[in-house]
Amino acid sequence: MVAVSLDNVPVGSTVRVRDVAGGDAVAIRLLEMGVTPGVEIRLVGKAPFGDPLELELRGYRLSIRRQEAARVAIGDR
Amino acid sequence: MTPGPLTVALLGNPNVGKSTLFTALAGIPTRVGNYPGVTVEEKIGRFTHRGRTVDLVDLPGTYSLAPQSPDERVAVDVLQGRMPGVARPDCILVVADATNLPRNMFLATQALEVGVPVVIALALADVADRKGIRIDVAELSRRLGCPVIRVAPPTGEGVATIRDRVVEATGGPPPRPLQLAAPEAGTALRPAAEAEAIARYAAIERLLDGVVGGGGAAALVEDRIDALLTHRVWGTLIFIGVMLGMFSSIFWLAPPLMDLISAGMDRVSAFVASLLPEGAIRSLVVHGILAGVSGSVVFVPQIALLFLFVAILEGCGYLARAAYLMDRLLVGMGLSGKSFIPLLSSFACAIPGIMAARTIENRRDRLLTILVAPLMSCSARLPVYLLLCGAFVPDRAAGLPWLPLKAAVLAGLYALGVVVAAAVAWVLSRTAFHGPPQPFVMELPGWRWPRPAVVLERAREAAWSFLQNAGTLIVALSIVLWALMTYPRNEQTIDADVVALRMAVGERIAAADDDAPDRADLVAQLEALDTPEGLAAARQGAAQRHSFLGQAGQFIEPLVKPLGWDWRIGCAALASFPAREVVLGTLGVIYDLGDVDPGEAEGATALERRLKAARWDGTNRPVFTLPVALSIMVFFALCAQCASTLVVIGRETGSWIWPVVTFSYMTVLAWLGAFAIYRIGLALGW
Repeated sequence: MVAVSLDNVPVGSTVRVRDVAGGDAVAIRLLEMGVTPGVEIRLVGKAPFGDPLELELRGYRLSIRRQEAARVAIGDR
Repeated sequence: MTPGPLTVALLGNPNVGKSTLFTALAGIPTRVGNYPGVTVEEKIGRFTHRGRTVDLVDLPGTYSLAPQSPDERVAVDVLQGRMPGVARPDCILVVADATNLPRNMFLATQALEVGVPVVIALALADVADRKGIRIDVAELSRRLGCPVIRVAPPTGEGVATIRDRVVEATGGPPPRPLQLAAPEAGTALRPAAEAEAIARYAAIERLLDGVVGGGGAAALVEDRIDALLTHRVWGTLIFIGVMLGMFSSIFWLAPPLMDLISAGMDRVSAFVASLLPEGAIRSLVVHGILAGVSGSVVFVPQIALLFLFVAILEGCGYLARAAYLMDRLLVGMGLSGKSFIPLLSSFACAIPGIMAARTIENRRDRLLTILVAPLMSCSARLPVYLLLCGAFVPDRAAGLPWLPLKAAVLAGLYALGVVVAAAVAWVLSRTAFHGPPQPFVMELPGWRWPRPAVVLERAREAAWSFLQNAGTLIVALSIVLWALMTYPRNEQTIDADVVALRMAVGERIAAADDDAPDRADLVAQLEALDTPEGLAAARQGAAQRHSFLGQAGQFIEPLVKPLGWDWRIGCAALASFPAREVVLGTLGVIYDLGDVDPGEAEGATALERRLKAARWDGTNRPVFTLPVALSIMVFFALCAQCASTLVVIGRETGSWIWPVVTFSYMTVLAWLGAFAIYRIGLALGW
């Protein structure tokens, strides 16, 4: 299966996080905000220029840039 | 013996109603400032309960106690008693957003591990009720092993109980940390902080299982609002509307208030002047001290208004959406979406704009925004643009029949600031500010009504901190400037100067043809010298030209000549480094008009005519031509001629390096820009 990341899923879809690539500050911050393996995320929308993205997870809204979303691998393990 | 004060640290995620609870518990803070060495705001309040005095330390909003940003490091240092000047907390009061419990429990359960008693306040409990979110508070408290209290400060719910529990908890045993599961297979290779975050969320899911329920259906309304306000077309249009509304109210609402303050200060000055005998003391008090007080108080309406708006936008959740909508545009410049409001407000005045940069959590983005904010053409530059455009830009269309050249030049000056700011930010973000990628992970808080008490407190606090910290320095600078413009004073030199002026004007009248257009002006100028007012104005001009500042202006003439300026313009530019708005008044004094008010039509016309009549010393060559006017305007557009802005940059960044950097780069750019436009103008024969 081709690895799919959070930056290229259609708006409105709900996906499950498989892993967050990292080892740096960005990865730690994403995990701290609840983007952990196994959590469900809905892509609520995109800003007017296609970036950043608006996400819903764990009952709240979060905005991250495409660059960060690209580190979030999705799909079941 | 009465026991000493208890120290209670207020910890919580950003935007969870931490400041609302702070105000409800402690009222107006007793101490506001910066923590030593960092630009993180320190806020301490005090209340007394059951005979115990409690010092409430408001920690910066943070998502985690694994410190990454300076804000988080301050929070951790205070909690562990490593922050000089703040006692080790006896208790941690964690504020958790009841509408978003899973994410908020991340920080709350980290607080359990610090080793001091913890009390958890479930903020926004009333909002959670309305959303249909049910929380079994008693069970949550039992599972966590610490008090958990619902609070809703607007209704007063829970505030008294918080006081009780906090005083009871201090001195008791610290809570038992939440048991985190052993790392799952496959996560063992991750860095500790990452493995911990994954394990903690797994533990929080178990902790909240059966404790939190409901809330699904009510989110629909919020979804619709959100969909509209972040919509590609409608969201952008609403955004433009909101920003225009905010900007124009600062631009239009503040000036009447500022005029009121100026008029009031003028009356105070006149009253004080009437009490003091004519002489150096009166001059110092009126033109040095009171002018400085007036010059700093006058910024208060703009600061208070902007912070009122920012607090409303922040309180209802729009501030984060605005940053979300604008982010892509500003990322191209090396900034972020949160830079938008500070930069927009800088078109009214850079001081509130720079202060509004406090809403940017990311340190690098915040500093860059502060450094380029003074390049936005503020309202103090507008009178200079209007006078010089009106007097020296020809009255014709600029290519298109409906576009007057004057308007095109004016728009060009505003655009120049934006383009240069973008270029400076772009270059700095790739050189001096280059670093590892900065995470842009921003919560979009739920929509809710802003709390009036919090909004008013933000505006009051911003205005007060400006007056306390920047105001005093601005007064000191004003006194220094007064001395430089007043001394040395030598009556004989002044008399000689007035005689020389009379002769020079007389010679020009003699040399001019009878029907020369400026002959009448020159005759009027000569006749004015025989009136007491005209003589006083000429003497005032002479005194200024021979003061330290005037001498410095003549000394730097070689520096300003390449810009097409004579030493008088150099003097006026030099005198306006502390505050650019004085330049027109200074030009009036330096060209022997006395104190004209360029804000009034009469004063502006008089100044315009005098500038048009100005000649290079000893020649009949006009000083002010189109290239010279453009060169002056470009210089003013790019130069950091505002001591108050520099003082505020120093205060907001906590370092004197940044005002020096801002001043240096802007002055160099201003000189280069003015030189370029002057040379281009000459080459093209404008």
